[in-house]
Amino acid sequence: MKILAIALCLLLGGALVFVVGDFPDWGDPMSPPNDYRLSKHFIENTMEETSVPNIVTAVLADYRGFDTMFETAVIFTAALACFFLLRTWGRRPSKPDNVYMHLLTGVHVRLKHGKTLSPQSRTFARVESEILRYDLVTSTVCRLMIPFIQLFALYVVAHGHHSPGGGFQGGVILGASFLLLAISHDLRTLRERFPEVKLMYLLIAGIVLYSGVGFACMIYGGNFLEYEALGPLMGVTPVMAHSLGILFVEIGVAMTVMATMILIYNYISSLGTYERGL
Amino acid sequence: MTILEIIALCFIAMGLIFFLGGTVGILRLPDFYSRLHAAGKLDTLGSLNVLLGLALYSLAPISLLSVLTALKILLCMFFVFMASPSATHAIVDAGMDAGMPHWRKR
Repeated sequence: MKILAIALCLLLGGALVFVVGDFPDWGDPMSPPNDYRLSKHFIENTMEETSVPNIVTAVLADYRGFDTMFETAVIFTAALACFFLLRTWGRRPSKPDNVYMHLLTGVHVRLKHGKTLSPQSRTFARVESEILRYDLVTSTVCRLMIPFIQLFALYVVAHGHHSPGGGFQGGVILGASFLLLAISHDLRTLRERFPEVKLMYLLIAGIVLYSGVGFACMIYGGNFLEYEALGPLMGVTPVMAHSLGILFVEIGVAMTVMATMILIYNYISSLGTYERGL
Repeated sequence: MTILEIIALCFIAMGLIFFLGGTVGILRLPDFYSRLHAAGKLDTLGSLNVLLGLALYSLAPISLLSVLTALKILLCMFFVFMASPSATHAIVDAGMDAGMPHWRKR
């Protein structure tokens, strides 16, 4: 069996190495994708036409912005599919028990009929259940890191047309920061900050923002997603309007991607109840 | 080759040695916890050394831009220093919770 596996690996690896020989050289200006006149047009004229230094973002959100809008719609549909497949509605008690942990000894206290302790208490911390542990190291470090992660995510979104980055990447980082909160504390902490309804609004608002920019272009006399038409509205030159339009569109993408990430994680980790996570 | 570059290369080489130790540790140590020990400690130290070397290397023609680059790399070092050991801690914690048995010498 092992010999068979090694033979298979060698065969597949050999095939891959064999194919690599046919690739154009790395960064070869004369290779077919670089030599085609469309790519030449992008490389030579992107800066003049859109004032966006990052050609990849310009192509993604401007030259073929229509395509990216439906990519965002695919992500939106994925979130909706997860909602319909995974979400379950069980009967929930009107006054659920609250579980607290004494921080020094680790003893759990269960308060019945929805009674609570003071949230400012330094000796007791509210936990989701008796099985869950409240780990001081993890939660403190995550509390320290999450703001920086979110700041970096916003930077990635807002700087996507100048350096590598953009809506998809920034949205994933932003979503991951909230997942870190859910993992390091518990799902209840995340749910209090981001109820399901708000996430749904965010999910829809992202795609509405994207297509809304497109329709705004039509209202101002351009084609769908032709950002030049928005120049007079934003008070900038038509070339600069391309850059700003890309920024708006990227923000919409980031909102949808972030909400999708958080929703899918929450449904899977709470078995669809959205009540109690891992 | 300037003095600064030599120092930077020394740091990078030292970091790579730590990485090598960490890799050997992950492959050779007997159980979950001791492997995590090797991964958590040596990978952190290795990446700190490599990043410090890179920060020094980027300082070579000193200007505002290179100082900013070095500061950004130092910021990366800070976050690696915070995140890597606490991630290891969290994984060990999860292992203890799940009742992972630890290695005994027979």
